[in-house]
Amino acid sequence: MAADLIESVAKILFIFGVNVGVFAPILGWVERKQSAVMQDRIGANRADILGFTAIGLFHSLADAIKLLTKEDFVPDNASKFFHTLAPFISLVPAIAAFAIVPFGGRYELFGREIHLVIADLDVGILYVFALAGLATYGTVLAGWSSRSNWSLLGGLRASAQMLSYEVAMGLSIIGLIMVYGTLKLTEIGAIQENFFRWGIFLQPVGFIIFMTCAIAENKRIPFDIPEAESELVAGYFTEYSGMKFIMFWMAEFLEMVTISAVVTTLFFGAWHIPFVTDAMLLSWFAPAGPNGAAALAMLVNIAVFFAKVSFFIWLQMTIRWTLPRFRYDQVMRMCWKMLLPLSLINLSITGLVVLLR
Amino acid sequence: MKTMTGLEHSASSVQVGIPAAILKPKKVRRRLDMTLWEKLYVAEIVRGLVVTSKHFFINMIGFIFPPAGKKRKVFTVYYPEEKLTLPPAYRGRPVLVADAAGEAKCVACGLCEKMCPAHAISIVAAEKAPGERYPERYTLDLGRCVYCGYCEEVCPKEAIVMSDEYQGLAQRDRSRLVFEKEQLLRPEGKVKARLTYVRRIYSKWNY
Ligand code: SF4
Ligand code: SF4
Repeated sequence: MAADLIESVAKILFIFGVNVGVFAPILGWVERKQSAVMQDRIGANRADILGFTAIGLFHSLADAIKLLTKEDFVPDNASKFFHTLAPFISLVPAIAAFAIVPFGGRYELFGREIHLVIADLDVGILYVFALAGLATYGTVLAGWSSRSNWSLLGGLRASAQMLSYEVAMGLSIIGLIMVYGTLKLTEIGAIQENFFRWGIFLQPVGFIIFMTCAIAENKRIPFDIPEAESELVAGYFTEYSGMKFIMFWMAEFLEMVTISAVVTTLFFGAWHIPFVTDAMLLSWFAPAGPNGAAALAMLVNIAVFFAKVSFFIWLQMTIRWTLPRFRYDQVMRMCWKMLLPLSLINLSITGLVVLLR
Repeated sequence: MKTMTGLEHSASSVQVGIPAAILKPKKVRRRLDMTLWEKLYVAEIVRGLVVTSKHFFINMIGFIFPPAGKKRKVFTVYYPEEKLTLPPAYRGRPVLVADAAGEAKCVACGLCEKMCPAHAISIVAAEKAPGERYPERYTLDLGRCVYCGYCEEVCPKEAIVMSDEYQGLAQRDRSRLVFEKEQLLRPEGKVKARLTYVRRIYSKWNY
Protein backbone atom coordinates (compact mmCIF):
# COMPACT_ATOMS: atom_id res chain seq x y z
CA MET A 1 0.00 0.00 0.00
CA ALA A 2 2.70 2.43 1.04
CA ALA A 3 4.76 1.38 -1.97
CA ASP A 4 1.79 2.04 -4.24
CA LEU A 5 1.38 5.45 -2.76
CA ILE A 6 5.06 6.28 -3.19
CA GLU A 7 4.95 5.06 -6.77
CA SER A 8 1.90 7.17 -7.59
CA VAL A 9 3.28 10.26 -5.94
CA ALA A 10 6.60 9.81 -7.72
CA LYS A 11 4.84 9.51 -11.08
CA ILE A 12 2.64 12.52 -10.42
CA LEU A 13 5.62 14.58 -9.33
CA PHE A 14 7.56 13.51 -12.39
CA ILE A 15 4.81 14.46 -14.83
CA PHE A 16 4.00 17.65 -12.96
CA GLY A 17 7.65 18.59 -12.85
CA VAL A 18 8.20 17.89 -16.52
CA ASN A 19 5.09 19.80 -17.53
CA VAL A 20 5.10 22.79 -15.23
CA GLY A 21 8.80 22.94 -14.51
CA VAL A 22 10.27 22.20 -17.91
CA PHE A 23 7.78 22.47 -20.73
CA ALA A 24 5.74 25.48 -19.61
CA PRO A 25 8.65 27.90 -19.13
CA ILE A 26 10.76 26.55 -21.95
CA LEU A 27 8.02 26.59 -24.56
CA GLY A 28 7.73 30.35 -24.28
CA TRP A 29 11.38 30.54 -25.17
CA VAL A 30 11.02 27.88 -27.89
CA GLU A 31 8.19 29.79 -29.48
CA ARG A 32 10.22 32.98 -29.70
CA LYS A 33 13.40 31.34 -30.77
CA GLN A 34 11.88 28.93 -33.26
CA SER A 35 9.87 31.62 -34.98
CA ALA A 36 13.04 33.69 -35.20
CA VAL A 37 15.07 30.89 -36.70
CA MET A 38 12.32 30.08 -39.18
CA GLN A 39 12.13 33.69 -40.29
CA ASP A 40 15.90 34.19 -40.64
CA ARG A 41 16.05 36.27 -37.48
CA ILE A 42 17.97 35.73 -34.27
CA GLY A 43 15.31 36.09 -31.62
CA ALA A 44 15.40 37.07 -27.98
CA ASN A 45 18.99 37.07 -26.76
CA ARG A 46 19.49 40.16 -24.64
CA ALA A 47 18.46 39.18 -21.12
CA ASP A 48 21.64 38.21 -19.35
CA ILE A 49 22.95 37.36 -15.93
CA LEU A 50 26.50 38.68 -15.51
CA GLY A 51 26.90 38.86 -19.25
CA PHE A 52 25.86 35.25 -19.73
CA THR A 53 22.78 35.01 -21.94
CA ALA A 54 22.22 31.23 -22.30
CA ILE A 55 20.85 31.70 -25.83
CA GLY A 56 17.98 33.80 -24.57
CA LEU A 57 16.71 31.36 -21.95
CA PHE A 58 16.74 34.05 -19.28
CA HIS A 59 13.93 35.83 -21.07
CA SER A 60 11.57 33.22 -19.67
CA LEU A 61 12.89 33.96 -16.21
CA ALA A 62 12.53 37.69 -16.73
CA ASP A 63 8.98 37.16 -18.00
CA ALA A 64 8.10 35.08 -14.99
CA ILE A 65 9.45 37.69 -12.56
CA LYS A 66 7.70 40.46 -14.41
CA LEU A 67 4.33 38.75 -14.57
CA LEU A 68 4.44 37.51 -10.99
CA THR A 69 5.12 40.97 -9.62
CA LYS A 70 2.54 42.71 -11.79
CA GLU A 71 -0.66 44.12 -10.41
CA ASP A 72 -3.51 41.65 -10.49
CA PHE A 73 -6.17 43.73 -12.14
CA VAL A 74 -9.90 43.00 -12.15
CA PRO A 75 -12.02 45.41 -14.17
CA ASP A 76 -14.86 47.34 -12.55
CA ASN A 77 -18.19 45.55 -12.82
CA ALA A 78 -16.46 42.32 -13.73
CA SER A 79 -17.73 39.28 -11.94
CA LYS A 80 -14.84 38.92 -9.54
CA PHE A 81 -15.40 35.32 -8.60
CA PHE A 82 -15.68 33.97 -12.12
CA HIS A 83 -12.96 36.26 -13.34
CA THR A 84 -10.61 34.65 -10.85
CA LEU A 85 -11.97 31.16 -11.41
CA ALA A 86 -11.59 31.14 -15.20
CA PRO A 87 -7.81 30.81 -15.45
CA PHE A 88 -7.89 27.92 -12.99
CA ILE A 89 -10.54 26.13 -15.02
CA SER A 90 -8.32 26.57 -18.05
CA LEU A 91 -5.13 25.44 -16.42
CA VAL A 92 -6.28 22.48 -14.34
CA PRO A 93 -7.62 20.34 -17.23
CA ALA A 94 -4.47 21.07 -19.18
CA ILE A 95 -2.36 19.63 -16.38
CA ALA A 96 -4.78 16.87 -15.43
CA ALA A 97 -5.22 15.51 -18.93
CA PHE A 98 -1.70 14.13 -18.81
CA ALA A 99 -2.71 11.72 -16.06
CA ILE A 100 -3.91 9.00 -18.41
CA VAL A 101 -1.10 9.28 -20.93
CA PRO A 102 1.33 6.39 -20.54
CA PHE A 103 4.90 7.60 -20.83
CA GLY A 104 6.37 4.13 -20.67
CA GLY A 105 5.37 0.49 -20.51
CA ARG A 106 5.41 -2.07 -17.70
CA TYR A 107 8.65 -2.96 -15.96
CA GLU A 108 9.66 -5.56 -13.34
CA LEU A 109 11.73 -3.57 -10.89
CA PHE A 110 12.80 -5.14 -7.56
CA GLY A 111 9.87 -7.52 -7.65
CA ARG A 112 7.39 -4.74 -8.23
CA GLU A 113 5.48 -4.16 -11.41
CA ILE A 114 6.02 -0.53 -12.34
CA HIS A 115 3.46 0.85 -14.69
CA LEU A 116 4.39 4.19 -16.15
CA VAL A 117 1.02 5.89 -16.20
CA ILE A 118 -0.58 7.88 -13.44
CA ALA A 119 -4.14 6.60 -13.88
CA ASP A 120 -4.77 3.64 -16.13
CA LEU A 121 -8.43 4.35 -16.77
CA ASP A 122 -10.59 1.95 -18.74
CA VAL A 123 -12.21 4.86 -20.53
CA GLY A 124 -8.80 6.39 -21.24
CA ILE A 125 -9.27 8.59 -24.23
CA LEU A 126 -12.77 9.68 -23.20
CA TYR A 127 -11.20 11.27 -20.14
CA VAL A 128 -9.09 13.47 -22.42
CA PHE A 129 -12.20 14.56 -24.28
CA ALA A 130 -14.02 15.25 -21.04
CA LEU A 131 -11.21 17.49 -19.84
CA ALA A 132 -10.96 19.20 -23.21
CA GLY A 133 -14.65 19.98 -22.87
CA LEU A 134 -14.05 21.35 -19.40
CA ALA A 135 -11.31 23.64 -20.67
CA THR A 136 -13.92 25.33 -22.84
CA TYR A 137 -15.57 26.62 -19.68
CA GLY A 138 -12.41 28.41 -18.65
CA THR A 139 -12.30 30.26 -21.92
CA VAL A 140 -16.00 31.08 -22.02
CA LEU A 141 -16.08 32.17 -18.38
CA ALA A 142 -13.05 34.37 -18.88
CA GLY A 143 -14.72 36.04 -21.83
CA TRP A 144 -18.05 36.44 -20.14
CA SER A 145 -16.95 37.56 -16.68
CA SER A 146 -14.57 40.31 -17.82
CA ARG A 147 -17.32 42.77 -18.78
CA SER A 148 -15.48 43.68 -21.93
CA ASN A 149 -16.87 43.46 -25.43
CA TRP A 150 -13.68 42.08 -26.82
CA SER A 151 -13.54 39.39 -24.19
CA LEU A 152 -17.17 38.54 -24.69
CA LEU A 153 -16.74 38.17 -28.43
CA GLY A 154 -13.67 36.06 -27.84
CA GLY A 155 -15.56 33.87 -25.41
CA LEU A 156 -18.46 33.46 -27.84
CA ARG A 157 -16.17 32.51 -30.65
CA ALA A 158 -14.30 30.14 -28.37
CA SER A 159 -17.46 28.36 -27.33
CA ALA A 160 -18.58 27.95 -30.94
CA GLN A 161 -15.21 26.85 -32.19
CA MET A 162 -14.26 24.51 -29.39
CA LEU A 163 -17.60 22.77 -29.24
CA SER A 164 -17.69 22.27 -33.00
CA TYR A 165 -14.24 20.85 -33.19
CA GLU A 166 -14.84 18.52 -30.30
CA VAL A 167 -17.38 16.69 -32.44
CA ALA A 168 -15.00 16.11 -35.31
CA MET A 169 -12.18 15.26 -32.91
CA GLY A 170 -14.24 12.62 -31.15
CA LEU A 171 -15.32 11.08 -34.43
CA SER A 172 -11.79 11.03 -35.79
CA ILE A 173 -10.62 8.87 -32.91
CA ILE A 174 -13.44 6.32 -33.07
CA GLY A 175 -11.92 4.72 -36.16
CA LEU A 176 -8.71 4.09 -34.29
CA ILE A 177 -10.56 2.75 -31.29
CA MET A 178 -12.43 0.34 -33.52
CA VAL A 179 -9.21 -0.95 -35.03
CA TYR A 180 -7.48 -1.38 -31.68
CA GLY A 181 -10.59 -2.56 -29.89
CA THR A 182 -9.78 -0.74 -26.69
CA LEU A 183 -10.11 2.67 -25.08
CA LYS A 184 -7.24 2.16 -22.70
CA LEU A 185 -4.28 4.24 -23.72
CA THR A 186 -1.85 1.80 -22.14
CA GLU A 187 -3.21 -1.06 -24.27
CA ILE A 188 -3.20 1.11 -27.38
CA GLY A 189 0.41 1.90 -26.62
CA ALA A 190 1.28 -1.76 -26.06
CA ILE A 191 -0.30 -2.81 -29.37
CA GLN A 192 1.95 -0.38 -31.19
CA GLU A 193 5.03 -2.38 -30.25
CA ASN A 194 4.66 -3.71 -33.78
CA PHE A 195 5.82 -0.90 -36.07
CA PHE A 196 3.21 -1.76 -38.72
CA ARG A 197 0.41 -1.41 -36.20
CA TRP A 198 1.21 2.24 -35.51
CA GLY A 199 -1.89 4.40 -35.67
CA ILE A 200 -0.50 6.57 -38.43
CA PHE A 201 -0.47 3.57 -40.80
CA LEU A 202 -3.88 2.32 -39.75
CA GLN A 203 -5.62 5.68 -39.67
CA PRO A 204 -3.74 8.34 -41.65
CA VAL A 205 -6.88 10.37 -42.29
CA GLY A 206 -7.84 10.10 -38.66
CA PHE A 207 -4.45 11.46 -37.71
CA ILE A 208 -4.80 14.53 -39.90
CA ILE A 209 -8.31 15.25 -38.63
CA PHE A 210 -7.30 14.70 -35.04
CA MET A 211 -4.26 16.93 -35.33
CA THR A 212 -6.29 19.70 -36.97
CA CYS A 213 -9.04 19.52 -34.38
CA ALA A 214 -6.56 19.34 -31.55
CA ILE A 215 -4.86 22.54 -32.69
CA ALA A 216 -8.29 24.14 -33.03
CA GLU A 217 -9.18 22.98 -29.52
CA ASN A 218 -6.03 24.61 -28.29
CA LYS A 219 -6.99 27.88 -30.04
CA ARG A 220 -3.60 28.32 -31.62
CA ILE A 221 -2.95 29.87 -35.01
CA PRO A 222 -4.34 29.09 -37.61
CA PHE A 223 -7.41 28.66 -35.39
CA ASP A 224 -6.83 31.61 -33.08
CA ILE A 225 -10.14 33.37 -33.62
CA PRO A 226 -11.01 33.42 -29.89
CA GLU A 227 -7.80 35.38 -29.30
CA ALA A 228 -7.67 37.17 -32.62
CA GLU A 229 -4.95 39.62 -31.75
CA SER A 230 -5.68 41.66 -34.84
CA GLU A 231 -9.39 42.06 -34.11
CA LEU A 232 -10.12 41.50 -30.44
CA VAL A 233 -6.95 42.76 -28.74
CA ALA A 234 -6.37 39.46 -26.97
CA GLY A 235 -9.84 37.96 -27.11
CA TYR A 236 -11.05 36.24 -24.01
CA PHE A 237 -8.05 37.16 -21.85
CA THR A 238 -7.91 40.83 -22.78
CA GLU A 239 -8.74 41.89 -19.22
CA TYR A 240 -6.24 39.64 -17.49
CA SER A 241 -2.90 40.59 -16.11
CA GLY A 242 -0.11 39.21 -14.02
CA MET A 243 -0.40 35.72 -12.67
CA LYS A 244 -3.81 34.99 -14.17
CA PHE A 245 -2.60 35.99 -17.59
CA ILE A 246 0.38 33.68 -17.29
CA MET A 247 -1.99 30.88 -16.33
CA PHE A 248 -3.78 31.15 -19.66
CA TRP A 249 -0.47 31.00 -21.41
CA MET A 250 0.63 28.03 -19.38
CA ALA A 251 -2.66 26.33 -20.16
CA GLU A 252 -2.06 26.86 -23.84
CA PHE A 253 1.46 25.49 -23.70
CA LEU A 254 0.50 22.53 -21.54
CA GLU A 255 -2.40 21.69 -23.82
CA MET A 256 0.12 21.66 -26.60
CA VAL A 257 2.22 19.17 -24.67
CA THR A 258 -0.84 17.07 -23.91
CA ILE A 259 -1.93 17.06 -27.54
CA SER A 260 1.54 15.96 -28.55
CA ALA A 261 1.52 13.24 -25.92
CA VAL A 262 -1.90 11.96 -26.99
CA VAL A 263 -0.97 12.02 -30.66
CA THR A 264 2.23 10.15 -29.86
CA THR A 265 0.34 7.55 -27.88
CA LEU A 266 -2.45 7.08 -30.37
CA PHE A 267 -0.67 7.37 -33.69
CA PHE A 268 3.07 7.25 -33.28
CA GLY A 269 3.90 4.17 -31.30
CA ALA A 270 3.79 5.68 -27.81
CA TRP A 271 7.06 4.80 -26.06
CA HIS A 272 8.28 2.31 -28.66
CA ILE A 273 11.25 2.66 -30.95
CA PRO A 274 10.36 1.42 -34.47
CA PHE A 275 11.23 -2.26 -34.98
CA VAL A 276 12.42 -2.63 -31.38
CA THR A 277 10.20 -4.66 -29.09
CA ASP A 278 10.30 -4.39 -25.33
CA ALA A 279 11.86 -7.83 -25.07
CA MET A 280 14.65 -6.83 -27.45
CA LEU A 281 15.36 -3.74 -25.40
CA LEU A 282 15.55 -5.84 -22.23
CA SER A 283 17.89 -8.34 -23.86
CA TRP A 284 20.22 -5.54 -25.01
CA PHE A 285 20.56 -4.28 -21.49
CA ALA A 286 20.76 -7.80 -20.02
CA PRO A 287 24.40 -7.38 -18.85
CA ALA A 288 23.16 -4.82 -16.31
CA GLY A 289 21.25 -7.53 -14.43
CA PRO A 290 17.47 -7.92 -14.46
CA ASN A 291 16.77 -4.81 -12.39
CA GLY A 292 19.35 -2.71 -14.18
CA ALA A 293 18.05 -3.84 -17.55
CA ALA A 294 14.49 -2.93 -16.61
CA ALA A 295 15.59 0.45 -15.30
CA LEU A 296 17.63 1.20 -18.42
CA ALA A 297 14.78 0.09 -20.69
CA MET A 298 12.46 2.32 -18.70
CA LEU A 299 14.75 5.31 -19.14
CA VAL A 300 15.12 4.65 -22.86
CA ASN A 301 11.36 4.38 -23.27
CA ILE A 302 10.70 7.59 -21.36
CA ALA A 303 13.34 9.35 -23.44
CA VAL A 304 11.84 8.04 -26.67
CA PHE A 305 8.39 9.11 -25.59
CA PHE A 306 9.45 12.63 -24.73
CA ALA A 307 11.53 12.87 -27.90
CA LYS A 308 8.39 12.13 -29.89
CA VAL A 309 6.43 14.62 -27.81
CA SER A 310 9.06 17.24 -28.50
CA PHE A 311 8.84 16.52 -32.18
CA PHE A 312 5.10 17.13 -32.18
CA ILE A 313 5.52 20.31 -30.19
CA TRP A 314 8.00 21.40 -32.82
CA LEU A 315 5.50 20.50 -35.53
CA GLN A 316 2.74 22.50 -33.88
CA MET A 317 5.03 25.48 -33.52
CA THR A 318 6.03 25.18 -37.16
CA ILE A 319 2.38 25.09 -38.17
CA ARG A 320 1.70 28.11 -36.03
CA TRP A 321 4.45 30.12 -37.67
CA THR A 322 3.72 28.94 -41.19
CA LEU A 323 0.00 29.22 -41.80
CA PRO A 324 -2.05 32.39 -41.92
CA ARG A 325 -5.09 32.49 -39.70
CA PHE A 326 -8.56 31.49 -40.78
CA ARG A 327 -11.50 33.79 -40.81
CA TYR A 328 -14.35 32.94 -38.45
CA ASP A 329 -16.64 31.59 -41.17
CA GLN A 330 -13.79 29.59 -42.65
CA VAL A 331 -13.13 27.96 -39.32
CA MET A 332 -16.75 26.94 -39.03
CA ARG A 333 -16.99 25.78 -42.64
CA MET A 334 -13.85 23.74 -42.29
CA CYS A 335 -15.24 21.98 -39.25
CA TRP A 336 -18.79 21.26 -40.32
CA LYS A 337 -18.38 20.92 -44.06
CA MET A 338 -14.99 19.30 -44.38
CA LEU A 339 -13.70 17.66 -41.23
CA LEU A 340 -16.99 16.25 -39.97
CA PRO A 341 -18.01 14.52 -43.24
CA LEU A 342 -14.44 13.37 -43.71
CA SER A 343 -14.33 11.80 -40.30
CA LEU A 344 -17.70 10.15 -40.89
CA ILE A 345 -16.47 8.69 -44.19
CA ASN A 346 -13.30 7.58 -42.49
CA LEU A 347 -15.39 6.00 -39.78
CA SER A 348 -17.63 4.03 -42.16
CA ILE A 349 -14.72 2.78 -44.25
CA THR A 350 -12.90 1.70 -41.11
CA GLY A 351 -16.06 -0.02 -39.92
CA LEU A 352 -16.37 -1.92 -43.19
CA VAL A 353 -12.75 -3.02 -43.11
CA VAL A 354 -12.98 -4.12 -39.49
CA LEU A 355 -16.18 -6.01 -40.23
CA LEU A 356 -14.91 -7.78 -43.34
CA ARG A 357 -11.52 -8.72 -41.98
CA MET B 1 22.86 61.24 -68.77
CA LYS B 2 24.85 64.35 -68.02
CA THR B 3 23.84 66.03 -64.85
CA MET B 4 23.44 69.70 -64.39
CA THR B 5 26.65 69.92 -62.44
CA GLY B 6 28.51 67.91 -65.03
CA LEU B 7 29.13 64.99 -62.75
CA GLU B 8 28.60 61.46 -63.94
CA HIS B 9 26.25 59.20 -62.06
CA SER B 10 28.25 57.34 -59.51
CA ALA B 11 26.78 54.05 -58.50
CA SER B 12 26.85 53.89 -54.75
CA SER B 13 28.61 50.95 -53.18
CA VAL B 14 26.81 51.08 -49.85
CA GLN B 15 24.05 48.59 -49.49
CA VAL B 16 21.34 48.02 -46.96
CA GLY B 17 19.37 44.87 -46.31
CA ILE B 18 19.08 41.98 -48.68
CA PRO B 19 20.91 42.36 -52.00
CA ALA B 20 18.50 41.90 -54.87
CA ALA B 21 20.56 39.01 -56.21
CA ILE B 22 19.85 36.95 -53.09
CA LEU B 23 16.24 37.94 -52.80
CA LYS B 24 15.27 36.74 -56.29
CA PRO B 25 11.68 37.93 -56.16
CA LYS B 26 9.36 35.37 -57.64
CA LYS B 27 6.42 36.32 -59.76
CA VAL B 28 3.21 36.54 -57.78
CA ARG B 29 0.78 33.92 -58.90
CA ARG B 30 -2.76 35.13 -58.49
CA ARG B 31 -5.00 32.22 -59.21
CA LEU B 32 -8.48 32.17 -57.90
CA ASP B 33 -9.41 28.85 -59.46
CA MET B 34 -7.49 26.32 -57.45
CA THR B 35 -6.84 22.84 -58.72
CA LEU B 36 -8.30 19.91 -56.84
CA TRP B 37 -4.87 19.13 -55.43
CA GLU B 38 -4.65 22.59 -53.94
CA LYS B 39 -8.20 22.42 -52.67
CA LEU B 40 -7.32 19.28 -50.77
CA TYR B 41 -5.38 21.64 -48.56
CA VAL B 42 -3.23 19.14 -46.76
CA ALA B 43 -0.69 18.83 -49.55
CA GLU B 44 -0.34 22.57 -49.84
CA ILE B 45 0.02 22.92 -46.08
CA VAL B 46 2.79 20.36 -46.15
CA ARG B 47 4.46 22.32 -48.95
CA GLY B 48 4.34 25.45 -46.80
CA LEU B 49 5.70 23.56 -43.82
CA VAL B 50 8.56 22.26 -45.94
CA VAL B 51 9.53 25.81 -46.91
CA THR B 52 9.55 27.10 -43.34
CA SER B 53 11.25 24.08 -41.86
CA LYS B 54 13.89 24.26 -44.59
CA HIS B 55 14.72 27.73 -43.34
CA PHE B 56 14.60 26.43 -39.78
CA PHE B 57 17.06 23.63 -40.34
CA ILE B 58 19.44 25.58 -42.56
CA ASN B 59 19.56 28.35 -39.97
CA MET B 60 19.94 25.88 -37.10
CA ILE B 61 22.95 24.36 -38.81
CA GLY B 62 24.22 27.86 -39.47
CA PHE B 63 23.88 28.78 -35.81
CA ILE B 64 25.62 25.69 -34.54
CA PHE B 65 28.40 25.61 -37.15
CA PRO B 66 28.67 29.15 -38.47
CA PRO B 67 29.99 28.97 -42.02
CA ALA B 68 33.47 30.49 -42.00
CA GLY B 69 33.92 33.55 -44.15
CA LYS B 70 30.49 33.35 -45.72
CA LYS B 71 27.91 35.98 -44.95
CA ARG B 72 25.30 34.55 -42.65
CA LYS B 73 21.80 34.01 -43.90
CA VAL B 74 20.30 35.79 -40.92
CA PHE B 75 20.03 39.47 -41.64
CA THR B 76 19.44 40.74 -38.13
CA VAL B 77 21.80 43.57 -37.22
CA TYR B 78 22.87 43.58 -33.59
CA TYR B 79 22.08 47.25 -33.36
CA PRO B 80 24.26 49.01 -30.84
CA GLU B 81 27.21 46.78 -31.63
CA GLU B 82 26.72 46.65 -35.37
CA LYS B 83 25.51 49.52 -37.48
CA LEU B 84 24.17 49.69 -40.96
CA THR B 85 25.86 51.67 -43.67
CA LEU B 86 22.96 53.68 -44.92
CA PRO B 87 22.49 54.53 -48.58
CA PRO B 88 22.87 58.17 -49.62
CA ALA B 89 19.14 58.33 -50.28
CA TYR B 90 18.53 58.04 -46.53
CA ARG B 91 17.28 61.27 -44.97
CA GLY B 92 18.85 61.49 -41.54
CA ARG B 93 19.05 64.72 -39.62
CA PRO B 94 19.95 67.81 -41.62
CA VAL B 95 23.48 69.16 -41.17
CA LEU B 96 25.27 72.25 -42.36
CA VAL B 97 28.16 71.82 -44.77
CA ALA B 98 31.41 73.52 -43.87
CA ASP B 99 33.84 74.80 -46.46
CA ALA B 100 37.60 74.22 -46.42
CA ALA B 101 38.09 76.93 -43.79
CA GLY B 102 35.57 75.29 -41.52
CA GLU B 103 33.01 78.03 -41.97
CA ALA B 104 29.44 77.32 -42.94
CA LYS B 105 28.81 77.56 -46.66
CA CYS B 106 25.45 79.04 -45.85
CA VAL B 107 24.85 82.60 -47.01
CA ALA B 108 21.90 83.18 -44.72
CA CYS B 109 19.52 83.71 -47.61
CA GLY B 110 16.71 82.42 -45.45
CA LEU B 111 15.16 80.21 -48.10
CA CYS B 112 15.30 77.11 -45.95
CA GLU B 113 13.81 78.95 -43.01
CA LYS B 114 10.96 80.06 -45.22
CA MET B 115 10.53 76.66 -46.85
CA CYS B 116 10.63 74.53 -43.75
CA PRO B 117 7.11 73.20 -43.20
CA ALA B 118 7.73 72.59 -39.53
CA HIS B 119 9.36 75.94 -38.77
CA ALA B 120 12.34 74.08 -37.43
CA ILE B 121 14.98 76.48 -38.69
CA SER B 122 15.68 79.96 -37.43
CA ILE B 123 18.52 82.05 -38.72
CA VAL B 124 20.06 85.23 -37.45
CA ALA B 125 21.88 86.74 -40.41
CA ALA B 126 24.87 89.06 -40.25
CA GLU B 127 27.40 90.49 -42.70
CA LYS B 128 31.09 89.66 -42.75
CA ALA B 129 31.87 92.28 -45.34
CA PRO B 130 29.42 94.51 -47.17
CA GLY B 131 27.23 92.21 -49.29
CA GLU B 132 28.69 89.03 -47.80
CA ARG B 133 26.14 87.52 -45.50
CA TYR B 134 26.62 84.66 -43.12
CA PRO B 135 24.43 83.11 -40.43
CA GLU B 136 25.43 84.47 -37.08
CA ARG B 137 23.19 81.93 -35.48
CA TYR B 138 21.67 78.98 -37.20
CA THR B 139 19.30 77.03 -34.96
CA LEU B 140 17.69 73.79 -36.00
CA ASP B 141 15.05 72.33 -33.71
CA LEU B 142 15.22 68.62 -34.40
CA GLY B 143 12.21 68.12 -32.18
CA ARG B 144 10.19 69.86 -34.89
CA CYS B 145 11.99 68.71 -38.01
CA VAL B 146 10.02 66.18 -40.03
CA TYR B 147 13.00 65.10 -42.18
CA CYS B 148 11.29 66.18 -45.37
CA GLY B 149 14.47 67.41 -46.98
CA TYR B 150 12.92 70.59 -48.37
CA CYS B 151 15.66 72.71 -46.81
CA GLU B 152 18.25 70.71 -48.69
CA GLU B 153 16.28 70.93 -51.89
CA VAL B 154 15.81 74.67 -51.74
CA CYS B 155 19.30 75.67 -50.65
CA PRO B 156 21.13 77.42 -53.48
CA LYS B 157 24.54 76.84 -51.93
CA GLU B 158 24.37 73.16 -51.03
CA ALA B 159 24.93 74.39 -47.53
CA ILE B 160 22.40 72.19 -45.78
CA VAL B 161 22.07 68.47 -46.55
CA MET B 162 20.41 65.48 -45.00
CA SER B 163 23.10 63.35 -43.39
CA ASP B 164 23.02 59.68 -42.52
CA GLU B 165 23.03 60.43 -38.80
CA TYR B 166 20.12 58.98 -36.91
CA GLN B 167 21.43 58.66 -33.38
CA GLY B 168 20.99 61.03 -30.49
CA LEU B 169 17.45 61.93 -31.48
CA ALA B 170 15.86 60.39 -28.43
CA GLN B 171 16.28 62.78 -25.53
CA ARG B 172 14.53 63.23 -22.23
CA ASP B 173 14.42 66.97 -22.71
CA ARG B 174 13.21 68.75 -25.82
CA SER B 175 15.66 71.58 -25.34
CA ARG B 176 18.49 69.16 -26.02
CA LEU B 177 17.12 68.65 -29.51
CA VAL B 178 17.73 72.26 -30.43
CA PHE B 179 21.02 72.23 -32.32
CA GLU B 180 23.17 75.28 -32.85
CA LYS B 181 25.33 76.03 -35.86
CA GLU B 182 28.47 74.68 -34.21
CA GLN B 183 26.81 71.33 -33.54
CA LEU B 184 25.48 71.14 -37.07
CA LEU B 185 28.63 71.85 -39.02
CA ARG B 186 30.14 68.90 -40.86
CA PRO B 187 33.18 68.94 -43.15
CA GLU B 188 32.24 68.54 -46.78
CA GLY B 189 34.01 65.21 -47.11
CA LYS B 190 31.63 63.62 -44.65
CA VAL B 191 28.53 64.34 -46.70
CA LYS B 192 30.04 63.77 -50.11
CA ALA B 193 27.95 60.75 -50.97
CA ARG B 194 24.76 62.61 -50.18
CA LEU B 195 25.87 65.66 -52.16
CA THR B 196 26.58 63.54 -55.23
CA TYR B 197 23.23 61.86 -54.85
CA VAL B 198 21.40 65.15 -54.40
CA ARG B 199 23.00 66.64 -57.47
CA ARG B 200 21.90 63.64 -59.45
CA ILE B 201 18.29 63.49 -58.40
CA TYR B 202 17.56 67.20 -58.32
CA SER B 203 19.15 67.69 -61.72
CA LYS B 204 16.21 65.79 -63.18
CA TRP B 205 13.94 68.72 -62.54
CA ASN B 206 16.48 71.22 -63.73
CA TYR B 207 16.17 73.77 -61.01
S1 SF4 C 1 14.13 68.59 -43.27
FE1 SF4 C 1 12.20 69.65 -43.58
S2 SF4 C 1 11.44 69.97 -41.52
FE2 SF4 C 1 13.57 69.43 -41.29
S3 SF4 C 1 14.62 71.38 -41.23
FE3 SF4 C 1 14.62 70.71 -43.35
S4 SF4 C 1 12.81 71.69 -44.23
FE4 SF4 C 1 12.56 71.79 -42.01
S1 SF4 D 1 18.91 77.93 -47.95
FE1 SF4 D 1 21.04 77.31 -47.69
S2 SF4 D 1 22.18 79.21 -47.92
FE2 SF4 D 1 20.06 79.77 -47.59
S3 SF4 D 1 19.92 80.06 -45.40
FE3 SF4 D 1 19.33 77.97 -45.79
S4 SF4 D 1 21.22 76.83 -45.55
FE4 SF4 D 1 21.80 78.97 -45.74
